[in-house]
Amino acid sequence: MPREGTGWSIVSYIVGGMLLYGGIGWLVGRWTHIEALTGVGIVLGIGLSLALIIFRFTRPSR
Amino acid sequence: MSDLYAVTTAGGCHFQSHPSCGYPAPGIEEFYFKPAFRIAGFGFTKPILIMLLSAVIVLFVFYMAFRKPKMVPRGIQNVGELGILAVRDQILRPQLGSKGDRYLPFLVSLFFFIWLMNLWELIPVAQFPATSKFAFPLGLTLVVWVTYIFIGMKHQGPIGYFKNMAVPSGAPWWILPLLSPIELLSNIIVRPFTLSIRLFANMLSGHLLLLVFSIAAWYLFSATIGLLFAAVSFIVFLLVFVLEVLITLLQAFIFTTLTAFYISDALEPTH
Repeated sequence: MPREGTGWSIVSYIVGGMLLYGGIGWLVGRWTHIEALTGVGIVLGIGLSLALIIFRFTRPSR
Repeated sequence: MSDLYAVTTAGGCHFQSHPSCGYPAPGIEEFYFKPAFRIAGFGFTKPILIMLLSAVIVLFVFYMAFRKPKMVPRGIQNVGELGILAVRDQILRPQLGSKGDRYLPFLVSLFFFIWLMNLWELIPVAQFPATSKFAFPLGLTLVVWVTYIFIGMKHQGPIGYFKNMAVPSGAPWWILPLLSPIELLSNIIVRPFTLSIRLFANMLSGHLLLLVFSIAAWYLFSATIGLLFAAVSFIVFLLVFVLEVLITLLQAFIFTTLTAFYISDALEPTH
């Protein structure tokens, strides 16, 4: 049974993924002068966080 | 008390009473207070007074309750036991089980301290929640953060704890380099940050809502159609007030529940 903190963990994963890969995208975009990379990074980050959430919470791990 | 109240109340500024008399909308300046006095350059303001009072009241109530504990509780000891049992059974046990009882004093003090700091929002004259100043939730979160990282290092070893924190369970090995930075970032930075922002933003918006409707009720109170709007505004104010009674409790509950959850995560990895 999921515990009460699980929902908040999922939120913090999505925020974390967006921040991390959005930040990397922003840095690379500044370097290469392609501004769209920030958006690409944010979308990629959300995708990866969703993958992480699926791996972590849907498969029986205990 | 800010200048805004002085303008609205002393000036007798009401709806259509004067051409230049507009609705004095409350803003972020409502959250900044003039220091009453300074100690070595450090301003002593109303939120600090509220925080100190909250701490003293919590200490005093629990000290009085358990000064001479009896087998059959009487008077204030009943109240103290009720509070402690509520935190134990509704917050601690669902997250940590009975093995987490040693963290009960920490969680009880955290819960009642936050609840009381929130409650000042609804008490006349004080009418300001200390937790709507970002420094207070941030300071509390810092305490929680240090606590759960320390517990994690103690129970899983420094290297084991960070390994468990960085490696998500159930993920195939080839995707780990992409996923473990997210896991690490969300555990170390996003978690404490969201914990403090949740409490701060809820109390700030609640205080602003109360201000908007109470000032509107006062401002619209005049011998025009505004009287009708003033009545509606006052009813909404009362409804928001009731909602805030719930929210002060709920935010303290959520903060403490998540603290218990983070401690349980530090005690044993979820993997």
